[in-house]
Amino acid sequence: MSSSDPTAASLVARRTRRSLGVGFFASELAVLFRRRRTWAMLLALAAVPILIAVAVRISSSGSSGRGPAFIDSITQNGLFVGIAGLTIAIPLFLPLTVGVVAGDSIAGEANTATLRYLLVSPVGRIRLLVVKYLAAVVFCLAATLTLSIAGILIGIALFPVGPVTLLSGDTVSIGDSLVRSLLIALYATVSLLGLSAIGLFISTLTDAPVGAMAATVVLSIVAQVLDSLSQTEWLHPWLFSHYWLDFADLLRQPIEWSSFGQNALLQLGYVVVFGALAYGRFSSKDILS
Amino acid sequence: MPRTWHRWIPAAAAPVAIGAVVLGGVFATSASADPADKTPQQVLELAASSTVDTFSGTIEQSSNLGLPDVSGLGGSTGSSSDSSDGSDLTSALELLTASHTLRVYVDGPTQSRVQILDDMAERDAIRNGDDLWLYDSNDSTAVHSTLPADASTAPDASAESLTPAELATRFLDAVDPSTEVTIGDPVTVAGRSAYDLVLTPDSSTTLVSSVEIAVDADTGLPLSVDVFAQGSSDAAFHVAFTSLSLDTPSADLFDFTPPAGTDVTEKALPNRDDAPADGSVAPDAGTHPEPTVTGTGWDTIVELPASTDPSSLTDSPMLSQLTTSVDGGHVLQTTLLTVLITDDGRVLAGAVPVESLQAAAGK
Repeated sequence: MSSSDPTAASLVARRTRRSLGVGFFASELAVLFRRRRTWAMLLALAAVPILIAVAVRISSSGSSGRGPAFIDSITQNGLFVGIAGLTIAIPLFLPLTVGVVAGDSIAGEANTATLRYLLVSPVGRIRLLVVKYLAAVVFCLAATLTLSIAGILIGIALFPVGPVTLLSGDTVSIGDSLVRSLLIALYATVSLLGLSAIGLFISTLTDAPVGAMAATVVLSIVAQVLDSLSQTEWLHPWLFSHYWLDFADLLRQPIEWSSFGQNALLQLGYVVVFGALAYGRFSSKDILS
Repeated sequence: MPRTWHRWIPAAAAPVAIGAVVLGGVFATSASADPADKTPQQVLELAASSTVDTFSGTIEQSSNLGLPDVSGLGGSTGSSSDSSDGSDLTSALELLTASHTLRVYVDGPTQSRVQILDDMAERDAIRNGDDLWLYDSNDSTAVHSTLPADASTAPDASAESLTPAELATRFLDAVDPSTEVTIGDPVTVAGRSAYDLVLTPDSSTTLVSSVEIAVDADTGLPLSVDVFAQGSSDAAFHVAFTSLSLDTPSADLFDFTPPAGTDVTEKALPNRDDAPADGSVAPDAGTHPEPTVTGTGWDTIVELPASTDPSSLTDSPMLSQLTTSVDGGHVLQTTLLTVLITDDGRVLAGAVPVESLQAAAGK
């Protein structure tokens, strides 16, 4: 238990920070992205905009009048496919994949009985948590970028591309619209930070990774259901999913930054609270597996 | 376990810290420097002398009129029904019953842009010189009108009438002996300290219990308007700046070209000063005869004579859901406003109880 003792841990940590911090993070990323499961999830996410684009291209029956208007407008401009894909993926597919990665982070190591070896080598528990969380964040970024880029590429392949009409009715150049697509991907990444922290905390509670993944995904759905009920209106600004679809504010002219800021602040709150909870649980828990 | 209890301290402290920050924010906004004392008359003059005509800001508007939220019933637009009375009514009700966030950009009296920020959509009203554009991203439609050359006091786009300044001006213009004007505690709106002007109707028959207008201490610009109904402590209608900048907005904002693929409708403006320019909110005013106005001050009742086709109003399925049948017609009762549609097709409206309308209709 010497590695969990704070003074000893911090001594070890200080001595080995330079060699270990970056190296451990890099190896964690390598483990994450060498997994076939990670690639399968990224491919599934990339399939979302591709399926939308192909379906719209085949049917091409014009305006269906359903859903956000810019799903209709992808026939006029392929650059919208990435945004349409994100809109479809944000409520379920993205939380699902993030739940898998974050829920697996600690519980997966415990389940394969590698957690205690990780901690026997001079890795502090705090550092392990931080590195696991950062790896989940990198996955969030990879997931949203995969969606956006796959969408833009398939859009360019199947539909005409030109200057983009914003929600405000103004038209911006292709370069400007690509910057906005990138901003939207960043917005979606920030949106998932809170859920990643929740997943990390749940992952410290159990040795069964499937349970942690399922609980994380279920929580994200519960939050969205609560967000759609008018009876729980007082709760809405506090739900981590509340600003998920407000990335549309980045498609206005000028860009409305307030939702970006509010979203970031809210997610930061979740990261602090659930990060602290994960620390409390993980540093005081007996690692038996 | 006793050795490790302190590891939970951060977990316990984090929500406390967040709560402190949130509460601290609340206290910080209420503890701004109070403006110098002024009498109600001085604040009225301050508001009247306000010369701010260049600003941009974000506005929040909410209503609690006791009506169901109809925003989901018919959508805000009716491209297929081509601005018939039915869809006009829907969008008017949507404006009244749902909450909105708006952004306004104003540069002088002839350049303005109002954006209603909907979920995944936006409605814009842009005025640039004589050109008036209404754009709706939901169905990619635009309406273009050219203002008559002599319209220096041009009709405003209906969305613009939702700004605190426009609304407050209407109330302040209507201040007469039947209104008691007092000053409440100084308030902070959009980070600016403001006088809280309270207008209380000196009438027992109106539904309005009071109107509070926050007047910016520096510029006299009205920053928020809250209308309270009788017997309710929550504002029945609330509109306020959440952010305000007095800088000149970028000129590009007023230069609107409808994007490719937009249905553009040219619409001639009715040649009347007080006609609403936006056909989507009020029924086409040009086809209706002059309304008659009875009563004064807060008890004013507006009566529209029978329209050419009264059944268009009473047959609307939405209206029949919202109205209740009373002696002599159907009544739409909100916390602030009562509308009586008589059986012979006249429409009476006022901030008064239904009995007053029935009495007026019987005359």
